[in-house]
Amino acid sequence: MSDFHNRSQISARRSDYVWQYEYYDDEEPVSFEGLKAHRYSIVIGFWVGLAVFVIFMFFVLTLLTKTGAPHQENPDSAEKRHRPGSCLVDIDGAQDENDKAFSRPLLAESRSYFHFYINEEDQGQGKQKPEDKLTGKNAGARAQQGTCNRPRGISSSVMDEMDEDVEEAGGHQPLKGLLEESKTDRECAFFSHFNIPNFVNLEHSSTLGEDDLLYEPSVVLERQSRSQDAHSDIH
Amino acid sequence: MNANPVNQSDCPEVKVPVPLFLAIGVVSLAENLLVVVAIIWNRNLHSPMYCFICSLAAFNTIASLSKTWETLMIVFADVGQLEKTGSSVMKLDDVMDSLLCMSFVGSIFSFLAIAVDRYITIFHALRYHNVMTMRRTGAMLGIIWTTCGVVAVLMVRFFDSKFIMICFVAFFIISLAIICSLYVYMFMLARIHARKIAALPTSSGGRSRQQRWRGNSMRGALTLTILFGAIVVCWAPFFVHLIIIMVCPMNPYCECYRSLFQLHVVLLMSHSVVDPAIYAFRIAELRHTFRKMLLCSQWRRCS
Repeated sequence: MSDFHNRSQISARRSDYVWQYEYYDDEEPVSFEGLKAHRYSIVIGFWVGLAVFVIFMFFVLTLLTKTGAPHQENPDSAEKRHRPGSCLVDIDGAQDENDKAFSRPLLAESRSYFHFYINEEDQGQGKQKPEDKLTGKNAGARAQQGTCNRPRGISSSVMDEMDEDVEEAGGHQPLKGLLEESKTDRECAFFSHFNIPNFVNLEHSSTLGEDDLLYEPSVVLERQSRSQDAHSDIH
Repeated sequence: MNANPVNQSDCPEVKVPVPLFLAIGVVSLAENLLVVVAIIWNRNLHSPMYCFICSLAAFNTIASLSKTWETLMIVFADVGQLEKTGSSVMKLDDVMDSLLCMSFVGSIFSFLAIAVDRYITIFHALRYHNVMTMRRTGAMLGIIWTTCGVVAVLMVRFFDSKFIMICFVAFFIISLAIICSLYVYMFMLARIHARKIAALPTSSGGRSRQQRWRGNSMRGALTLTILFGAIVVCWAPFFVHLIIIMVCPMNPYCECYRSLFQLHVVLLMSHSVVDPAIYAFRIAELRHTFRKMLLCSQWRRCS
């Protein structure tokens, strides 16, 4: 019965378009006698808690970033180290004095990280090639366009969320490499095909061989990006 | 109309002026409509990521539209132009409430979808095109919109029952937890990437890169804090309001919190205004499309 009473009151109130809801019990007004704390203590407590939470979250995130400063590597592995990373970046090739300090653990880390991408790529490329062949012209063009534009989309939306420098990366190779790293299969697939078979031999290969390896992927990459840009320009 | 006599309540209801409601509604409507139109108009933006952002903007558009409409109807009703009683008016009220509910639930679903999409982009980058095809995106969006419609109708039909409200609040808290964990995980991986790249040898010199890495990290942390903080700051007061209705309707402290209801609704609406700035306007392609749409007086030249 009280439900029915409430409902009729509710419908009456709703048709009145008042910002009042059924819980404002008019028959039994809330008594404000004997309040120990301030009236708005819940409100104040809520907002203070919210502010503390947001600031705490910000500090936790900045602490997460500060605990991971780039550490120094050993000088002898510096040259060999940056090859596995060529999918990650550096077409530059120039070495610094400081870079000799980069350590081996990073080499192992990037190798396992790289294997992760290779495994992904093997599955991905196998599936993608038939797709590319079977789909019609428009869809194929769209897929190309998608591939061409998704990196931009990814770089600008996802990486922008994390790293706003990416768009200004202009001549800054490593961040551009981060861009390219987050692109889909093609470039990484090419690099992997070039690098992985030679990966084991890298430490023993001559400087001439290493330079060749460096040269070819970059040329291929440029060709790739040029063709993709051409596609995107059409659309 | 039964109002609490003022001398019996020390916490009078805080009323927000109607022009503020209307202003927020109109601004939010304009922004989100612009985002939706831009994404539909530019064929380059027909990819899963942009579809989710478009869906979010569409939900925000519906929210601001129904809120503005409701505000206008209240204004007309107060002025006397509109009948206050009658079943058609009540049905209209129901429709607007359900549209609002639909847009709230839809916004939360869209946040979730955007976070999951970004997560797949980063952690399964090479399989992204296979996992997130346009067909699957369409199916997901269809499911989201259908679910929101059904939930909205149910909520307005059965809003008396506590179960519905508990479900709504639980849904919000779970979504928030999922979004938070996804973004923090993505953030940590992005830091690892950036750290590796910052550690790579180039000719630019290690120290300046380290500073740039620090700056980028700070900016990433700030971006994530703004994104998540905006959701929490704008949505939490309303949901705490719902919790308080269920938990302590008679408590005077709770009454004082409930008296701020209109402020909390304004906060909720202001999130629709802030959303495009957080999601859509940060994408260069979208900004470019806006400029083309807004500044081009002659369409022929622009295409």
